[in-house]
Amino acid sequence: MSARPTRRLLTGTGTWVLLAVLMTWTLAPIAVMVFTSFKAREDVFQVPARLLPSTWTLENYATVFTASTMPQALLNSVVVGVLVALATLVFCFSAGYAMARFRFRSARPLALFILLGQVVPLTVILLPLYQMVTAANLLDSTTGVAFAHLAITVPLVTWMVRNQVAAIPIELEEAVRIDGGSRFDAVSYVTLPVCAPGLVAAGMFAFLQSWHEFLFASVLTTSSDARTAPVTLTEFATEFDVDWGATMAASVVLTVPIVIAFVALQRYFVGGLTGGAVKG
Amino acid sequence: MTALTPAVPRRRTGGPHPVALMLPAALLTAVLMVIPIGSTLVRVVADRGEGLARMLDIPNFGTVMLNTLVWTLASVVGALLIGYAGAVLFQSKSLRLTGMWRSLVMVPWIIPGVVGATVWRWTLSTDYGVLNQALLDLGVIAEPVRWLSDPDVVLIAVALVQVWVTAPFVVLMVSAALAGIPEERYEAARLDGAGSWQVFWYVVLPAIRTTTGIVVLTLAIWALNSFTIIWVMTSGGPAGSSTILPILLYQAFQNGDQSLVAAVALLQVAIGGVFAFFFARTMRTDLEDQS
Repeated sequence: MSARPTRRLLTGTGTWVLLAVLMTWTLAPIAVMVFTSFKAREDVFQVPARLLPSTWTLENYATVFTASTMPQALLNSVVVGVLVALATLVFCFSAGYAMARFRFRSARPLALFILLGQVVPLTVILLPLYQMVTAANLLDSTTGVAFAHLAITVPLVTWMVRNQVAAIPIELEEAVRIDGGSRFDAVSYVTLPVCAPGLVAAGMFAFLQSWHEFLFASVLTTSSDARTAPVTLTEFATEFDVDWGATMAASVVLTVPIVIAFVALQRYFVGGLTGGAVKG
Repeated sequence: MTALTPAVPRRRTGGPHPVALMLPAALLTAVLMVIPIGSTLVRVVADRGEGLARMLDIPNFGTVMLNTLVWTLASVVGALLIGYAGAVLFQSKSLRLTGMWRSLVMVPWIIPGVVGATVWRWTLSTDYGVLNQALLDLGVIAEPVRWLSDPDVVLIAVALVQVWVTAPFVVLMVSAALAGIPEERYEAARLDGAGSWQVFWYVVLPAIRTTTGIVVLTLAIWALNSFTIIWVMTSGGPAGSSTILPILLYQAFQNGDQSLVAAVALLQVAIGGVFAFFFARTMRTDLEDQS
């Protein structure tokens, strides 16, 4: 089965026309973002609008990095993302391993319970979560934001980890047991090393979810001390006089690390995401 | 243990009990999901339904419900159409550099939602936006469209952005499903003299029905719970014409109106519950298939 049979549905010119349309639709806004970020102020507000800058300038990037709170926000985002990734991996490896390797009476209810976290609308938990974080004295802290983000990452990553562990032949673990090792030995000498690349990808995935998140981060932070990059970006755009050049430069800055991470880890993401990604 | 041990041990064989392993994640879910939903319920009851009554009394409550419906339908249908087209396109043997195009199509999905919304807000700007200029140049429109300030247009404009963001997910899922269709089915259809369109309609669509179901469910849940795109682009305006349930809830939250927040949250849980039911059934089948 070398040539995919559905390959015959579309042929010749039709293919390339459809590709051109799809690529324009997909990439035109990205092009607008990139080109606007290199425009001088008077160029940005030129009418009629042009896609390309008349002169290229880096002044918008200079504004973002020297005259805004974006550097602090990027740092906050990294701190939150790392906290989220580490905590997620600890919680999810434990749960995902149990789901993949054991059958016990409460397994299915517990698994469904964790996975159903995926379909609870985030706005629904907004107020109680806000009250919880306030009560724990974590308002306006990166820890508080990271805690909230676990609501998004734990259900998703549990599923990813479960699939990764289930894909490892149980015989590998049993070999260790036959040699007299404990289950702990089997996990630390076989399971963990074998799914290490997958776990790294799952950790990156948790990091990226946190990097994206806007609603909780904006509600749980009140100052630039803890505010994350997406929240800071919207503040560029809610000022009375919106500096669209700087806003687009900041957008590029937020996007580049994501695209690099995606290209590097695409292989793992695609499987993990199609395996149960349901979150708005 | 011998080589005859079943692939999945049925009894404990030392180490921590599996329930203990799942407990941290389950407790976290309880704290982050169940307690909030419980407290929402308690509040609605403790208020003796005052919040619910107020919600139903909001002058434009009907509009909000209608907006939520239109937004959800438009988002799901749009993403399905573009996603299917993309998936079929990537199967075409006339295409070169498929891997590269496929990666590029993913871009709207992987960039942060706030970035996508911000970029579109600028692209859709009435006077400075590139879209209006392009449409004017092509002669499609005679005067600039007020994408985000015309109450009749705004909901479709924001739904367009949701479609832009979610269509790559459909491409991904449908591509995977298409790759799994056995060659014989096409051969049989060809022998019966079916053309491309008939193959698509009678072979491809039925074969990827399950995937389509999961995709529709996922897209609908995403749309119903979506907040960022609309909030960043319009904040629900102008005059509430792009306000959907999550936006209504957030506005009540900002106003410190806790009983209204609880009422809207309860309504969202009820709607979400219907989808969760079907989602759980799909997941359960999946769990059974794999264990």
